[in-house]
Amino acid sequence: MARYLTPAKIGLLALIELYVEETVPNDAIIPVLSFLTSHILDSDLQSTMTTTPSAANRWQRAERSIGLVVSIKDFEDLLLPFPAADRLPGRRLWDRFLEKLWGIDSLDALQTFFSRQPRVLARTREELRRMTELGEELPSGILLARNSPLGAFVRKAVLEFTRLQFHHSAELWKAFVKYRQPTVSYWRRRNPQCGRLSFDSVLMESQHEWGSFTDGIAVTAYGGMLMDEEDGALPVSTDDIESLLEFQIDQIQKYGARVPAEIKAKFHAMLRDSHVVPSLSHYLNFSDAWRSGDYPSAFDYLHRYFDYTMQNRDRLFYHYALMNLAIVQSDFGCHKEAMATMLETISTARENKDNTCLNFCLNWFYHFGRAHPDLVQDLEANSMIGSGKEALAFLRAKAKETGMLVLRSSALLSEAKLNMANGESIAGAMEHLVRSSHIIVERNMKSLIGSQLSVTTSLWDRLGISYLSTMTSEVFLRVHAPSACFDDELKMVCRLAGTLAGKGKYDEAFAKLEDGIDKNLLRAAKPNQYWHLYRGLVKLRRDLHHNDLDTAETLLAQLLQIGSEELDPDVVFIIDSLHIEALIRRKDFDAAYEKIERLIAKFRDDHRDLSLRIRLLLVKAHLFDCMGRPERGFSITMRAASLAWRARLLTLLWQAVGALANILNAMGEFTAAVQLVEAVLPRSMESENAFNTGILYSILADARMGQAGKAAKARQAMTTTGETAGAAAAAAASLMNNKKLDLFTKAHEALECAFNHFSAAEDLEKQCETLAKRATLMKVLGDHARAEEYAARYMALKRQSSSGEHSSVWSTDTGTP
Amino acid sequence: MGARNCTCRLYTTLAAIGAACRAAELLDSVPDPVLSDLDQKEAVAGLQGYQHPALSANPDPVEAELEAKELSKYLLAKSFFDCKEFDRCASVFLPDSLLSGLLSTKATDATTPKGKAKASSAPPFEQALPSLSQKSLFLALYAKVISGEKKKNEESEMIMGPQDLGTIKNSHLVVVSRFLERWFAERKAEDSDLPPSQGFLEYLYGMVMVKEKNEDAALDYLLNSVHLFPWNWGAWLELTNLISGVEQLNKITPVLPQNIMSFIFYANTAVNLYQQGQDLAASVNDLLKLFPTSSFILTCRALLNYHSKDLYTAEQNFSNLLALHPHRLDSLDHYSNILYVLNMRPKLAFLAHLCSSIDKFRPESCVVIGNYYSLLSLHEKAVQYFRRALTLDRSCLSAWTLMGHEYVELKNTHAAIESYRRAVDVNRRDYRAWYGLGQTYEVLEMNAYALYYYKKAAGLRPWDGKMWQAVGSCLQKMGKDRDGIKALKRALLADSYYDSTLSSFGSAGPADRMAQMDPEVLLQIAFMYDRLGEVEEARAYMELCVAQEDGGATDNVDTSAVCTSNPGESFVVHGDSPGSDGDAEGGYEGRGGAGQGEGTGVTVATSKARMWLARYAMRTEDYVTANRLATELCQDGVEVEEAKALIREVRSRMELADLTER
Repeated sequence: MARYLTPAKIGLLALIELYVEETVPNDAIIPVLSFLTSHILDSDLQSTMTTTPSAANRWQRAERSIGLVVSIKDFEDLLLPFPAADRLPGRRLWDRFLEKLWGIDSLDALQTFFSRQPRVLARTREELRRMTELGEELPSGILLARNSPLGAFVRKAVLEFTRLQFHHSAELWKAFVKYRQPTVSYWRRRNPQCGRLSFDSVLMESQHEWGSFTDGIAVTAYGGMLMDEEDGALPVSTDDIESLLEFQIDQIQKYGARVPAEIKAKFHAMLRDSHVVPSLSHYLNFSDAWRSGDYPSAFDYLHRYFDYTMQNRDRLFYHYALMNLAIVQSDFGCHKEAMATMLETISTARENKDNTCLNFCLNWFYHFGRAHPDLVQDLEANSMIGSGKEALAFLRAKAKETGMLVLRSSALLSEAKLNMANGESIAGAMEHLVRSSHIIVERNMKSLIGSQLSVTTSLWDRLGISYLSTMTSEVFLRVHAPSACFDDELKMVCRLAGTLAGKGKYDEAFAKLEDGIDKNLLRAAKPNQYWHLYRGLVKLRRDLHHNDLDTAETLLAQLLQIGSEELDPDVVFIIDSLHIEALIRRKDFDAAYEKIERLIAKFRDDHRDLSLRIRLLLVKAHLFDCMGRPERGFSITMRAASLAWRARLLTLLWQAVGALANILNAMGEFTAAVQLVEAVLPRSMESENAFNTGILYSILADARMGQAGKAAKARQAMTTTGETAGAAAAAAASLMNNKKLDLFTKAHEALECAFNHFSAAEDLEKQCETLAKRATLMKVLGDHARAEEYAARYMALKRQSSSGEHSSVWSTDTGTP
Repeated sequence: MGARNCTCRLYTTLAAIGAACRAAELLDSVPDPVLSDLDQKEAVAGLQGYQHPALSANPDPVEAELEAKELSKYLLAKSFFDCKEFDRCASVFLPDSLLSGLLSTKATDATTPKGKAKASSAPPFEQALPSLSQKSLFLALYAKVISGEKKKNEESEMIMGPQDLGTIKNSHLVVVSRFLERWFAERKAEDSDLPPSQGFLEYLYGMVMVKEKNEDAALDYLLNSVHLFPWNWGAWLELTNLISGVEQLNKITPVLPQNIMSFIFYANTAVNLYQQGQDLAASVNDLLKLFPTSSFILTCRALLNYHSKDLYTAEQNFSNLLALHPHRLDSLDHYSNILYVLNMRPKLAFLAHLCSSIDKFRPESCVVIGNYYSLLSLHEKAVQYFRRALTLDRSCLSAWTLMGHEYVELKNTHAAIESYRRAVDVNRRDYRAWYGLGQTYEVLEMNAYALYYYKKAAGLRPWDGKMWQAVGSCLQKMGKDRDGIKALKRALLADSYYDSTLSSFGSAGPADRMAQMDPEVLLQIAFMYDRLGEVEEARAYMELCVAQEDGGATDNVDTSAVCTSNPGESFVVHGDSPGSDGDAEGGYEGRGGAGQGEGTGVTVATSKARMWLARYAMRTEDYVTANRLATELCQDGVEVEEAKALIREVRSRMELADLTER
């Protein structure tokens, strides 16, 4: 395999020559030049010029450079539409290009071609002086500056050609003949004198001398190439392969996407019969295997890569190998091994005084520790890293010292997250966020925008300002997604889908999950798993709301199997809480209670995120409520409320307040309940969780009813006492009656609102409940017709839930994570 | 049939040797025996009991018996040899202990304990030679020699590196030669009970002696071998290498056995000695009639053309050869030299491509590629490829010489001299190397050395004008004008020599070639006469020189029938003028396009001559002539200023003369 030069590069040189000779017409100059630069320079002009780069054309560059190497077709597509500037009418630029290529009619002509290349360059002062001394004419016309991209390319090509050994240049010549051959029919049409052997002028000329022996000689010189033997060796150079490899690895690392199958196939065709397989290709294979979830291959390739690179570099790279290994291991769920490996990495990096590696490892380890507190527990006590907070501060300081901005901003983000998780001051978290954002914006670190915005959204979510968080997500998806890691994009999409599901817009959520994501990117194992999981979660929530418990349990069985090791703890918690809800709906209170207790104990021990713990407390209170003993949850609810308040977890606070009001209801403190709920309701609506708002409304309705009941009692008392008190009492009683009616109406209104919210969330059970309440209310009010109507609707809904209509509809596309 | 038989036999016996390849080649190029009238009867008779000669037994009964006994061992040794395990092969028949016993001298008290053990068992000198068949013996000893060569190659240093002094010797030669010495002594002393030698061991002994530089004895043994077994081409080749000149060749010829092999040998040797002439051409053509497609003979013919400077024919011959045997690399290096001289770049590139795709690690391929790079003026790369060729084969003569040329181009005279010297050491008959040496020393202005080497070259090619011209100009620089004139005259004469020989190849040079002489040489001669004060002679030569302009050398002055071959070819023979002798080239450029029959046209040399003549005319007060010549000079546009000054002077003198007359 050639080092640098390929037939395609000869084509580029010929094109440059055409351009310099001013044969390129004016309207073709820009396409030709942009074609040249896009193949000569590494940077991707195309994508920076277009305003909306999408993930789909991310791979275009690889495809283009492969295409150019493989066939001459690209040149034809470029040049055929344009007429030549100087020739007879009807001649295209393509003809002129072919003239150049077919002008190279022997190995010697190739040599001449390269030796005349420097003519297109601007002369140095020295050369100019010598030329004037010799009285030569100074060059004029277009000349390429020596350091311009084109000039540098020409110089490099000439240098590489000089460096070639003879048989390599002969190989190049053979490859060139082969590359050019597809144009022979076109060329022959224009040049009838072009014969069978015209690819080599020596053969052509000696034909009369050698006669029938010519073929034998040609075959001897050119090998099986002439006999249509498909040896399939593509004329590709190490340089091409390496730049392609780098590009692919870059793509994989930057966007976390896998190489599309077709490009991969083409690339393999190129690599197939090259003698030198760059060790980087093992790394590419490793990355690909890693992404595709093929653990043994990934492992194998990683080891192979490091075995091959070890000889070129020093043993210094040992810890990088370990680091990669640890990441792979943790990615495949071997957390224990990953931890051991990473600890070794840290110690090796310390020994080698490799700060970059060390900082990266510590950062990773910190996150790892957050995700798997049970594993690092033993270490925390006696290790240097210490607890999370200190480690972070250490990291931040280190990063500042060594000027590693990426690490610094990610440490800041982690600190913000930690702040939020521990329920500390929001202002502090905000400060970290702003500082990190400052660094990111200042240094234009596009890759970090994803995590920055994801922390921001979670902050808004916690504060219960869901429209801000939605907006942030949307901003990310519209503006930053193409330049960000795919994982971030996927998480954002999932988050949005979750919000939509919370609003009860399940179809929209599914649409978001289905359409908002490039299918090719989902080929990577991890994101694919995550995506399926999220689909499963949305579906599970809907099934639960539909009271479709059988389907829900099937799904749950699958989801619970995934195991907590491989998943984000947040997602694990969501699964757990949905499981508990399913259990409650199944009226399996014992199991639910047990599970809650276990989780609470575990979370307390692990110092887990405060919000999760509050959520658990609320679930427990809800359990008591369901069991008909709401007042037993009082202290829990109070604690949840105070914790939520302190940590400014407002969504949870509203829920806690709701739960509290419910307890107050149960204890008959209706006015207090009303006061609480009315204070909370508007804020809860902001959080755009239909179900929770519905519950608050239904509590409000309960409280109003309770108040009305009290009022009725008071009237009764009044009437009993009123017989003595007379008219004044009667007036008061009628006032009370009015008040009762008013309260009923208010209760009804609240119930209607609750019903609307529940139906938005498609929660059948709650819908039924509200309908029943409304029917009862109507009966109390004496409006039998409407009571009947509600009752009928209730029956209809009940039937719907029991027939499991939804399950039959939805079971067809149940996602299996 | 006989030839065929014996060649077959040769093939089996000498399969080990590269020469077998040639034998098979010849065998293949013999026309099918059944079809030839001569052999028809024999063939019909022979076909009944036909046993392939490769399988027939040794005619000598004793040897045949021995061979039969040793068959299994022989096969073992032969397969070791084929596997290139030479030492192992040798030890099948001749274990090392035996050989070391032979090596130790008469003194019985050898120092090594091993020697002692030997001495106790049998006195070393009395130790009998093992009784082996000659075939096995040959194989064993030959393997020993080859293994020694291999070791020698392994020990030698990088080409022209600091350690590469060319002093490493083949250490196994001593053993083999001592063994053979005794073996032959036994044959001679004890009268008869041993079977007579069959020729191979003589060949081997001759070869060893050549390597030991004992050339006369080697010649004897090789002649013996050739007499005993004439089909051994290897022996012939060794003989060819031994013969240093035509005289020796002619002396040896009567002693040779008279058969086809000696005929081939004579032709080949003569070609290798750069001979040419009608007779030789005829004999090569005769051989071609016998072996019409033999690539070897075709090569001989092409080389013959090349040596007689008929480059176009040589090119054609080689080209045909290439068409017939596209995979054959042998002597393509000569072809590349021809293409180089003819400046056929595309074809040379193609040839290089062909060679490198057949086998890029053959010295020939490397030389071809080196020549191509040299033509592209990429001298470093050329040197690199010549070096590679030499690494592959140290005795590659043309690579040494060509590398010398490249070093001259690179202005590295030291290295150039060394590589020329190596070339000469490899083969003392390479005139190009001698010439190169001379030229390098001339560049260094060490004329005495240069003269010595030029004389050597001229001795090798006495009919090559270029050599004599070099000798002449060297002498001129040393101030020996008389000798210089002699040498240059000889050069003029030599150039005419070719013409008579060329016609032998029918298609050779165009018949209507005009007789021309090199104006440069004429000018030089004239200048020397001028210096010697023989003005008349000088004037004659000057006039002759000017006369070359229009090709009309019909009025020959002193040399009879001075005519020369096509000038475009004769003086630019590749290797003859590697140096940047700009003055000579300047002389030829002017006439490149002038057409061959037309004469040289105006050149620097003729202009100089004309100037001299004009001045001479001035001195002899022949103002009319002077005026004419000076005007001509003005017209030619050479040295216009001087010519104009001359014209003015002539005019003034003429006027003065007119005045005085009056």
